[in-house]
Amino acid sequence: MKRVIRCLLAGAALSITTLGVSAADVKPAALIIAQGGLGDGSWNDTANAGFQAGLTATGITGKAIESKDVVAQGEEIMRRAADGGFGLVASLEWIHGEPMEKLAADYPDVNWVIMNQTRKGDNVASVVFAEHQGSFLAGALAAQVTVDTSIKGINEQAVIGVIGGVKAPGIDKFIVGYIQGAKAINPDIEVKVAYSESFGDPAKGEQLAKAMFNEGADIVYQVAGGTGIGIIEAAKAEGKFAIGVDTDQDSMAPGNVLTSMVKRVDVATESIIRDYADGKFPGGKVLQFGLDVKGVALSDMNHTKDIIPETYLARVDALKADIISGKIEVWDVSASGYPDFFK
Amino acid sequence: MVDGGSENVVAIDARPPRWTLAAENAMRFSLPVLLAFLAGAVLLLAIGENPVAIYQLMLSEGFGSERRIAATLSASTPLLFTAVATAVCFRSGVFNVGVDGAFVLGGLGAAVIGYALPVALGWTIAPLAIGSAMLIAAFWLWVPGVLLAKLEVDEVVSTLMLNFVALGISGFLVNSVFLSETSGNNTTETIHEVAELSRLLPPSTLHSGFLLGLLCVLGYAFWTQRTPQGFEAALVGFNNRFARSVGISVPGTIILVMIISGLVSGAGGAAHALGQVHKFSDGFSAGYGFTGMAIALLARNSAIGILLGAILFGALASAGTTVQLFSDIPLDIVNVIEGTVMIFAVVELGRLTLWRGTGQ
Repeated sequence: MKRVIRCLLAGAALSITTLGVSAADVKPAALIIAQGGLGDGSWNDTANAGFQAGLTATGITGKAIESKDVVAQGEEIMRRAADGGFGLVASLEWIHGEPMEKLAADYPDVNWVIMNQTRKGDNVASVVFAEHQGSFLAGALAAQVTVDTSIKGINEQAVIGVIGGVKAPGIDKFIVGYIQGAKAINPDIEVKVAYSESFGDPAKGEQLAKAMFNEGADIVYQVAGGTGIGIIEAAKAEGKFAIGVDTDQDSMAPGNVLTSMVKRVDVATESIIRDYADGKFPGGKVLQFGLDVKGVALSDMNHTKDIIPETYLARVDALKADIISGKIEVWDVSASGYPDFFK
Repeated sequence: MVDGGSENVVAIDARPPRWTLAAENAMRFSLPVLLAFLAGAVLLLAIGENPVAIYQLMLSEGFGSERRIAATLSASTPLLFTAVATAVCFRSGVFNVGVDGAFVLGGLGAAVIGYALPVALGWTIAPLAIGSAMLIAAFWLWVPGVLLAKLEVDEVVSTLMLNFVALGISGFLVNSVFLSETSGNNTTETIHEVAELSRLLPPSTLHSGFLLGLLCVLGYAFWTQRTPQGFEAALVGFNNRFARSVGISVPGTIILVMIISGLVSGAGGAAHALGQVHKFSDGFSAGYGFTGMAIALLARNSAIGILLGAILFGALASAGTTVQLFSDIPLDIVNVIEGTVMIFAVVELGRLTLWRGTGQ
């Protein structure tokens, strides 16, 4: 019965999508969920939301699949999907990039999608996010707020901080964007940088953040995954501010998370499904999801927008427009290496 | 003389015939499995799916073609090692739950050796990596072995906690000293191609580590059935006081089985690193140590049971994932089946022990 209803619904969706290729001709799509699984309230759930929205909008069928053993079994799972008649296989798991490159050569008729890395192959679309652009805006906002003593918890010193998980280009991409954004507001600002050497150590994050707060920083941007939870905790305990990363972490400590630099993986998955359904799969391309397509963005700041003066946000919006128009170019460490102001 | 002789006869007669034992063992293995699938079926019915159709699909996803069989065996490979490593302790009454940590550390060691040694060493890298992983893991489990044997530190607590320590150490190392510079994630470099274990049925990921796993099961069978030491180790588990009174060193046996357990865990971790993942990364072990424990319990430490159990759990892992491509059932159903197998396996064990205790 359920199946009948589903068929009817699919049929209804089909009749609505009148443009382009009929969805019936498009093979189904598979989305492989990364470690952590569905229900993580973060990366996987967000990506799946976009995937499902894409399926609903285009009328093609698709499956999101989970595995407890997703690290080791990735290649088998992806091969099964390709053997099983799926036309698009996307993986959210970072470690699947290497096997996917090999599989893409074995299955030239299947379209492959990998995230946060660049992989070769005419039928592989690599999705990357312009985290440097989003971080630029976070830095610009922080640089304005850090000298506004009318905001509770802010001192007069022009000092802000950032804590990265490890010293690696993937992380420094955020940090450099953040510094550049802060300097765009105030060239003399001091940006303290530290690395936690771990992505899963909240206690260390808390310690490092407290040390930064003691040294005069009042806003600390966390680019350290699970370690960052400790950074947000420290901001809450000290009455200072943290900036969240990847997902909207504003509500983890309402009022003490200034904003979050959000990676909209849902925007990416939905857009790829739409392109695929239209027969325009971006195979062989590196898709940069930046500010222009809302692939990265600052959060809605539901808990802090009332304490941040309007003009600051307007300034951030103006910078955003300049980045989109190309007037401001934000340094991308992962593409162009390290700039002179940050070695 | 005559009395003594008749006693002997009685003793021999009291042993049930071989086939009854075999049948009993088969039942002890299959009953928990059947009950678990029944529980899964009830759940499937409750969410409006047809259990027969889903189980058929699972069967064909697990064993339906050469490729699917290879995928199942590939998923079984780490479990062969962890189940043997667990069983070797359980049968001596040593409740070692630290196999997962030893597996992870062995895997990390093997991966690091697999990429850090110069390529010029060629095929020798793999045996070096496996050997080192075995030593690392053996040392790792030797520690709680000594603590138990000499100081009577409860092994359940120590080995359980050591799992967290192992995860912490490996997590730290793969996030710092061994972190690949090109990676955006917590992984080491990829190992040299010459260090990879060869694939048995390309393109499937089934690799020669599976054969190594089979060898471990065979070695275990031989050791338990055909060597005096293996027999003594079983006596320690069967009746500790009796073993001591006939001159078997209980502390020595405890340390020995812990070291064997470590060697096997380490070999498993190395096979997984060199054959399957080709690096070490966060999430390296999907709880293989704990699944191995379920298998050892289900198999009642028998070698053939371990083999069957590993294949069963391997099939559940591989088919349980790919059925999602062709149906609407969530992974949770498979988790329920796995969990229920474990519960029934343990429940049955408890019932039998009770029965034995009161019956005589």
